Amino acid sequence: MSAFASFGAWAQRNRWIWAAIGVLILWLVLSVVTNRFSLSSLSGVMLSASFLTVVGIGQMFVVTTGRGNIDLSVASVITLSAFVALLTVKGQDANLAIGVIAAVVLGLAVGALNSLLVVGLGIPAIIATLATGYVLATATLLSNKAIPGFAVSPALKDLATGRVSGVPIMAVIAVVGVAVTSFVLRYTVFGQLLSAVGQNRAAARLAGIRNGPVIASAFIISAVLASLDGLLLGAYIGGAFLEMGQPYLLQSIAAVVLGGTLIFGGSATALGTLFASILLILIVTTMQIIGLPPGVQDIVQGIVVIFVLALAGRQALARRTSVDPGDGDKDATAKTEAGAATARPK
Amino acid sequence: MSQLAVADQEVAMAVKPAAPVRPSVVSISGITKSFGPTLANAGINLSVHTGDVIGLVGGNGAGKSTLMRILCGAMWPTLGSICFADEEVAFAAYDTGEAQRRGIRMVHQELSLCANLSVAENFFLETPADSASRPGWRALYRARARAALDAVFPGNGIDADAEVGHLTIAERQMVEIARAAATPGVKLIVLDEPTSSLDLDRSKQLRAFIRERAKAGLAFIFISHKLQEIIDIASEVVVLRNGRTAWQGHATDASIGKLVQLMGGDANPVHQHAVAAASSQDVLVRLSGALTAGLGRDIDIVRGEIVGLAGLEGSGQRELLHAIFSPGRKQHAAVARRADAGFIAGDRQKEGVFPLWSVLSNISIGALARRSALGLVSDRANRDTATGAAGKLRLDDKRFQSNITELSGGNQQKALVARALVADTPVILLDDPTRGVDIATKQDFYRLCNEVARGGRALVWHTTEDAELLACDRVLVFSGGRIVKELAGEAITEQAIVGASFAQSADGQASAAGKRTALAGFGRKLVKAAPFIGLAAVLAVMIAINPAVASTFGLDLLLMPALSLVLVTAAQMFIVGGSEIDLGVGAFAGLVSVLSATLLYDQPWLGALALVAALAAYAGLGGVIQARKIPAIVVTLGASFIWVGIGYALQPTPGGASPEWLSTLFGWSIGFMPTSIIMIVAVALIVLAIDRLPLGVVLRGFGNNPAAMIRSGWSPTRYALVRYLIAGLFAGAAGLSLTAINTASDINSGNSYTLLSVAAVVMGGCSLLGGIISPIGAVAGAVTLSLIGALLGSLSVSSDYNAATQGLILIALLTLRSLTADRRSEL
Repeated sequence: MSAFASFGAWAQRNRWIWAAIGVLILWLVLSVVTNRFSLSSLSGVMLSASFLTVVGIGQMFVVTTGRGNIDLSVASVITLSAFVALLTVKGQDANLAIGVIAAVVLGLAVGALNSLLVVGLGIPAIIATLATGYVLATATLLSNKAIPGFAVSPALKDLATGRVSGVPIMAVIAVVGVAVTSFVLRYTVFGQLLSAVGQNRAAARLAGIRNGPVIASAFIISAVLASLDGLLLGAYIGGAFLEMGQPYLLQSIAAVVLGGTLIFGGSATALGTLFASILLILIVTTMQIIGLPPGVQDIVQGIVVIFVLALAGRQALARRTSVDPGDGDKDATAKTEAGAATARPK
Repeated sequence: MSQLAVADQEVAMAVKPAAPVRPSVVSISGITKSFGPTLANAGINLSVHTGDVIGLVGGNGAGKSTLMRILCGAMWPTLGSICFADEEVAFAAYDTGEAQRRGIRMVHQELSLCANLSVAENFFLETPADSASRPGWRALYRARARAALDAVFPGNGIDADAEVGHLTIAERQMVEIARAAATPGVKLIVLDEPTSSLDLDRSKQLRAFIRERAKAGLAFIFISHKLQEIIDIASEVVVLRNGRTAWQGHATDASIGKLVQLMGGDANPVHQHAVAAASSQDVLVRLSGALTAGLGRDIDIVRGEIVGLAGLEGSGQRELLHAIFSPGRKQHAAVARRADAGFIAGDRQKEGVFPLWSVLSNISIGALARRSALGLVSDRANRDTATGAAGKLRLDDKRFQSNITELSGGNQQKALVARALVADTPVILLDDPTRGVDIATKQDFYRLCNEVARGGRALVWHTTEDAELLACDRVLVFSGGRIVKELAGEAITEQAIVGASFAQSADGQASAAGKRTALAGFGRKLVKAAPFIGLAAVLAVMIAINPAVASTFGLDLLLMPALSLVLVTAAQMFIVGGSEIDLGVGAFAGLVSVLSATLLYDQPWLGALALVAALAAYAGLGGVIQARKIPAIVVTLGASFIWVGIGYALQPTPGGASPEWLSTLFGWSIGFMPTSIIMIVAVALIVLAIDRLPLGVVLRGFGNNPAAMIRSGWSPTRYALVRYLIAGLFAGAAGLSLTAINTASDINSGNSYTLLSVAAVVMGGCSLLGGIISPIGAVAGAVTLSLIGALLGSLSVSSDYNAATQGLILIALLTLRSLTADRRSEL
């Protein structure tokens, strides 16, 4: 009983555990139901999940800045980046450096534009990133016409699809990325500033934090990660196609929320995003194994997101009411319990 | 002490029957309210009879607001009961709506009017029952607003059609008081600091009105810090202290001195230090320009002194604090700061604490904020710095690991002070830091202020408790946004401060309003006219290139596809009016289109049923968003997957057929006028009509100030459902139009409309913050955006540029708007 309670308290602080438990249960169930499910098939799931994790980490930074901030341009950035990679690398390893630089520059440019709109002009993040997405969509259409062919650099392809003793390289990249992100969030000043800005922007400003640069860097991180992800994803699928980034829009948000990052901002968990990405891919894989039609797969994903949010919403509500009594007149002197007893009539 | 309080209550109870027996309005007994470990109310009894004017007094944090919230149904007590005319009512069934039905009205300290609505419409929100939705309902409320305002405040000159957002604070307060007083069937009015923003004449008018209405049997509870007002107006006085009744009796038995003592007024700060002789190189902050024009000289704030900011609330004290904290903006040119500044906020929840963090993190962020973002954080270093600061404040470092919200208000405030101390800035700005803080903490706090000032820092202290100003070396008295008086040393007395605060409060307000630049005004007009200018320009270009466009047939061909977007835009506009955004509205239109082209075509009954079910699901989504307080954006994005998924499962590839009646519905013609124009205008008129109805007013009210709406007894969940139902109907109509126009369906046909509808709504002039919608502008915006493709086509530009053009238009408009709007809150 008390062990249960102490686990509850621990899980309250380490919200990633729920996604991890979800992964474990679903994987066990699948292994039992279908005998063919094994550790090696899990590594396949890991590979797909890695691409989601990378963009999810970026999305997580933006969500953590609070005020319902979300980066809706990640899908367009992924797609455009894959096309830009085809344009710049042209299937030659020799051009790989240029391709990587192009992807980073693209990410920086989009991130800077989003920051300008959100921080500089005070446009709500949703609308700003939406508008950026429009502009990128046209850029994608234009580059689609300009690409020389669907050849992918072999080195990049090895990176995106290769394995080292059974473990996908991409998965290693994702895990390292998650570790670095966790360190940044927990042990750097930036991580603390980000959390402060996300929890209470007015308080952050009055505590002496310059909110603008903190928020801007979140958008830049998100765009750069999405862009690098697009480069790798293009190599993985062997080319690029319009709308290829589209599924990552909802899934990246779902991975962030499902992982235990607070949708209202202020608290992020990279580990949770990793496990939630795996869980989401597992769900999709399961649906494919069962043979559900694509339409139903969409429905299930939508329901999972709404359901998780509705649960998370309750937590946030509980938090808010526990904070509420402090405002103004109500938080009087701490009074003794005994006093309450004496003053109860009838 | 608690026994004393109980004994006092018993005395008061025993005295009661001797008073003339008047019918009871409401009585609450044994009210106890705990917030975690703190008791905001402990066993309070209060009984109100007709014609009573009860003066409720107590220091900050005494529990007055909590008690009134419970009485008005805004909060449930932990223990206690409530009786109306001897009929006991269970608290479980008691809420703000029930309190209003039983005739209780409260005028809140924080104003609870919807700023985007007119005075008359705000009157409607409070008493909706007698408004049948017949035309001219506004006239009824206009007349009522006029009469009510004139009854309480003769000669007020407030226009009943004026938007509340354009009124001054005092005028809003007057509207709110008049609104409560005019409610039919009201039996008890609770006035929470009603005179704080009123001048002396208005305050006298109010008291005369209360006296007159009390004679007629209306009961009042009058909360005020101005004790002479309480003694002047009240028939009975209740003093609260630390959540308990400290005294209850006839006003004739009370005197200001006695009340102050009962409230715990012995906590007056004592001035403990004198400023060292100031030398000019120690000037840390200089105030000049318009701010100090009334004094005729600049004001320097030097090391080692405590400068108090006084005046009526909202006279510019907080603005000055914020200007000192972040100078350099144009409007703050009058403020120059020469050293780093830290800020201690009194509104802890809004501007102080980081609720997810421990006490330690809340303290150490003060130092972190001034370090490089790439630096590393060490828990041990944090703890070492924080321990020093906490020691000075007698804040126990064993509580460092507790969540900040588990601490009492006083200890939270100590943590915020510690934050400013670890930041180690020469200037410390304090914004009413002792609000809701217990006396012991206040004493620690005053002691610390003196110590800190003696250590060579400058403190600028805004307080709403005039007594605290006695601890200052100098006091700057504000009125109408300017410093009107400087008091120093012995000259600082409460009388002098109050006298100076009221001295010149009349002017100033007007000049501030007239300051908006002509350029911004022009910009705003341009933004407002943008959708119409855009539409005209697009049409003009197209007609110039191809004159055939101007024919009836040409226009019809061009505008018919716009109809679907207009309908989706109408749907989105209602959502945006509630300060949300629906990212699934286009997909929903696509789903309806699929349903109508498949099920509705094959099996009309089943199809109709499916459509109704889809609509119910859509409206239910709104209810879920409201009830669970979850972000609409993500929920609707998730929902879009569900809509698309269902549509895809029903119809994997585009196809189906439009039912004949549906095609006829959208395919008629009257010859001389393009059908599409008639239908688009009709949609605009329907939206306009809904917006002008009482329903539309309620929806806009929720978009602007949901808290006020809930206080007025409106159900947020019900109206969220209604809002989404209306939006669903428009989106559904859009889906039907898609089927009729394309004579087939495609689940993806509506997708592009989602983002376009947001763009059209924004272009049309609706505020994304909610509450402001402009149907005509949004419709014009939608038509313009849908013509972009055709325009690019006639200019022989590839349709690839379609999306970018739309995106750039959106960005340009939002940029223009953000540059012209007055930016109320900074990031």
